[in-house]
Amino acid sequence: MLPKSYTVFKWAVYAIATLLLCALQSLVLNHIRVLGLSPFLYPVLPALVAMFEGSRPGAVFALVFGLYCDLLVPEPFPGFFALIFPAAAIAAAWVAERLTSRGLLCALIVSALGLLLTGALRLFVQLLSGGQYMGLMARMVVGEGMLTLPALLAAAPLYRTIYRRCGADY
Amino acid sequence: MKRPSNRFVIMVLAVAAAAAVLLSVMSYLSATAAPLPNLAGIIASPFRSVSASVSETFRRWTGYFVGVDELREENEQLKKQIAEMEGTVRQAQADREENARLREVAQLREQRRDLHLESARVLVQDSSNWYSELTINKGTAQDITVGDCVVTETGDLLGVVTETGLNWATVRTILDSESSIGALVFRNGGSAMAQGDFALMGEGRLSLTYLGTEPDVVAGDLIVTSGLGGFYPSQLVIGYVEEVRTSDNGLAQYAVLKPEAETTGLVQVYVVTSFDIVD
Repeated sequence: MLPKSYTVFKWAVYAIATLLLCALQSLVLNHIRVLGLSPFLYPVLPALVAMFEGSRPGAVFALVFGLYCDLLVPEPFPGFFALIFPAAAIAAAWVAERLTSRGLLCALIVSALGLLLTGALRLFVQLLSGGQYMGLMARMVVGEGMLTLPALLAAAPLYRTIYRRCGADY
Repeated sequence: MKRPSNRFVIMVLAVAAAAAVLLSVMSYLSATAAPLPNLAGIIASPFRSVSASVSETFRRWTGYFVGVDELREENEQLKKQIAEMEGTVRQAQADREENARLREVAQLREQRRDLHLESARVLVQDSSNWYSELTINKGTAQDITVGDCVVTETGDLLGVVTETGLNWATVRTILDSESSIGALVFRNGGSAMAQGDFALMGEGRLSLTYLGTEPDVVAGDLIVTSGLGGFYPSQLVIGYVEEVRTSDNGLAQYAVLKPEAETTGLVQVYVVTSFDIVD
């Protein structure tokens, strides 16, 4: 078991890395437009952390990060991200447990899962509010996911380094 | 790795649901941003400001090296446009004098148009593909309230303030699918509604709806705010009609508008905090 101060340090490093990736989203990814769409990295981050750290710490991280996003990012309803991110984190950890290595392929799968669950909730909300543009929105969910997955090349190695340096080999 | 117990999963999801309900109630009860989002906005404000500065500097730097030919071409076009506008201004000067004389003869009230503007800096732009919003660095401390119009430096309508905090405000642009504003066709005074459309948002366009049974709208028509009801100032330029289409059900027509205000790469905007217009 890790000493308490070391655990605090590890999660502080995770928080800083997440803020850096949020900066990447607002400074770079928001300005990339392909067919009117930009990559959207936020749903990927809690899924990746849960992949490395497991479902319990991952879900708590996802809840806190979800609240952060709810306060600062436009959303379909208040609490949208706080609701879907822990669910995505638990699902990501569940999938990661069943895969042999937590390499780039695993990161790709759990990220796709995070994006898919977030998109599915968005579509469900849209369905409840009349269901207009469902086809277009579904295409946007897929397009957004395809654009976001290459950004894993920045996010996954960063979290992997933190996991290796601050957690696994301690 | 420990497998999460059902109890833990239920607990996390229950906390998430409670947080969602709490945020919903807080935003419903408060006229401005609820205390928590307000605080988050205040804390995030300096970071957003730094991020906006970095982004702007980077854009300016890259701007030096790209698009020189485009700039030359634009310069030529602008010179032609200025020459044409000088003629229009001269004509308008004569028309204004004539209008003043005729108003005096007919004993009509003089038209007046006072917009009180508060300049603001754009901190965040378009955080997702699903909305078209901006965050600016002015809020309730500068008398900015929900419903205030936001315009560019040339007076073109950009959007409406939807949420305010102490030193920040969220602006929903006219492209957002939840945006809706009373409009007039400048050529013939026909009233309509300029609405954001989810299908057009990605293309940077919006729709002009409620055109009536026999719409008199053609490509190139200028569309301005109607000001009906007194919520928004009149005569703010929304955009130009690009094409007229028939709706999917074939019963009504709508026009696709190209907004006059650039909704990307914005640095400075102006909030209409109050207005006094007599037409």
